[in-house]
Amino acid sequence: MNWESYKSIADTNLWSAILPEFVLVILALSLLLLDMFGGSKGRGLVGRVTMLGLLVLFVLSLTVLRDNLGYINQTTFSGMLLHSDFGQIMRLFFLASSLLTAYLGSVFLKKQGLPGTEFYAITLLVTASLMLLSQSNNFVLLFVALETVTIGFYVLVSYNRDRSNSLEAGLKYLIMGGFSTAILLMGIVLLYGIGSSPVLEGATAHSLNFSELRNFLELNSDNLIAKVGVLLVVAGVAFKIGSVPFQIWIPDVYQGAPTPVTAALAVSSKAGGFAVLIALVSGPFKPMADLLIPVLSVMAIVTILFGNIAALTQQNVKRLIGLSGVSHAGYLLMGVVAMFTVPSAQNAIVFYLITYLLASYAVFGVMAHVSKRGQDDAQNLGDYQDMLKESPFLAGVLVLGLASLAGIPPLAGFIGKLLLFYVAFEAELYTMLAVAIVGVVISIYYYFGWIKEATFRIWKLPLLEGEEPEEPREWPEVSRTARLTLGGLALLALLLGLYQGPLSSLIG
Amino acid sequence: MTIGLNEFLIVSGLLFTIGFVGLLIRRNTLILFMCLEIMLNGVNLALISFSRFNGTMDGNLLVFFIITVAAAEVAVGLAIIVALFRKRETVFVDELNSLKN
Repeated sequence: MNWESYKSIADTNLWSAILPEFVLVILALSLLLLDMFGGSKGRGLVGRVTMLGLLVLFVLSLTVLRDNLGYINQTTFSGMLLHSDFGQIMRLFFLASSLLTAYLGSVFLKKQGLPGTEFYAITLLVTASLMLLSQSNNFVLLFVALETVTIGFYVLVSYNRDRSNSLEAGLKYLIMGGFSTAILLMGIVLLYGIGSSPVLEGATAHSLNFSELRNFLELNSDNLIAKVGVLLVVAGVAFKIGSVPFQIWIPDVYQGAPTPVTAALAVSSKAGGFAVLIALVSGPFKPMADLLIPVLSVMAIVTILFGNIAALTQQNVKRLIGLSGVSHAGYLLMGVVAMFTVPSAQNAIVFYLITYLLASYAVFGVMAHVSKRGQDDAQNLGDYQDMLKESPFLAGVLVLGLASLAGIPPLAGFIGKLLLFYVAFEAELYTMLAVAIVGVVISIYYYFGWIKEATFRIWKLPLLEGEEPEEPREWPEVSRTARLTLGGLALLALLLGLYQGPLSSLIG
Repeated sequence: MTIGLNEFLIVSGLLFTIGFVGLLIRRNTLILFMCLEIMLNGVNLALISFSRFNGTMDGNLLVFFIITVAAAEVAVGLAIIVALFRKRETVFVDELNSLKN
């Protein structure tokens, strides 16, 4: 290579196109410096600086950077990144999600007496990689971004290192995550090898690039090795979204991880998986529709049924929400299958993810507040008894969040499900639709079991003589910020069900 | 006999399978970790040989990233294993079963 070709490659390195990610990384590094040199005062500021930075970035991305400084539909960094409208929406999604994670972290870490700086720094780095992940246009970047996210989550899951539950969850996530990484990589390697094989028609020197790979797969869609490669890549991504048969890690890891991390796993990590899956299915894997439609359909059906049925017997709220998250992944997979025939299904998926974010963070926010000081957090359904009487605000948020997750009208979750079912109907996926509706009916049972536990008074035996009354449980004070955040989330979950105006461009 | 692409791919497939099966049947977390590394190295070998025999450079590049990621994974993983061993005094996954309904 000569000077000119280096120069032409370097000309595509437009750093301003990834300004938000850049700022996030700088912010993460300066947090570490603040912790090191700022003394105890600086350490106390870290959480606020993180939230402020994320909030400013979110508002800027919503307004000034809405069209990403004019880079929409362009590729930068020698084709590594493709800036699309979808990527922009996912960027906003991940910024909002980690803003809420950082807020839950500030509540939870203080209660558990854990140090905060590393938590915030890693959350920011994970967010930056998630944002790059949703814009990646090359398997090299996809792999690196996905692994940065995953390794960040290994640390976050085992963050509570004084508790063996958290460490055990971290180890389980690590081994299952490493396993899925290896499978994903094997898929990438097979696609790379077959795509650059000179004996095949349409072979390309850059078969790791999405658009070049798509051109190749269009000519060789019945090649066996290419098929195996595609399936292995999908399997690797299915681990991230937690769909059957790669869901076994979910209940244990969700239970052991600190509550804010569980929330981030449930929302950000899952949405990241779907961002990758959408980019793959609408891009390089589109020619493989004949192979992927049946595979993804079976996965979606089994995932919906498994998630809902396994959640029925759970007494631990984190396991319950994890397994219900598995079923949500199933509904979303249904949307991904519909995308092959109805491209607008992508908007339904994004809308569903947004409603899922609002409702999930409302529920996790309540969970972070209910957890007891310095102890194992309140994780059993029984811990939510008498909540309506003792802490009506938290109970109200919990009820709205759970009802939105269950898809009860007029909440946002209902509109999200309606849109997904509508696109599935348009794509004529009748079997899957029937299964999904059965799944929703089953899910109402366990969501309402939780609501019942929190709202209905339990009748207790009258005290016998000489019997000590049970010590009343301490309910947390709800600060004004918490009222604003959680109330705002619950309100949005309600309003978005009644009026979708600002998001109507998504609904189409 | 000349060694061609197929021989390299067979070795890489074998490495990947050894790691895969090991992950399913072994119970010691350190061995599980080794199996993960063997799987990744199988992938690396396949990448290099595809890169060499098809005459493209992208594969070599990806190998560097895989090695870096694997190193990061090991750093985090061993830290978790050591911390967990201090708490539980075991490295066997059968005994790490405190998370349940």
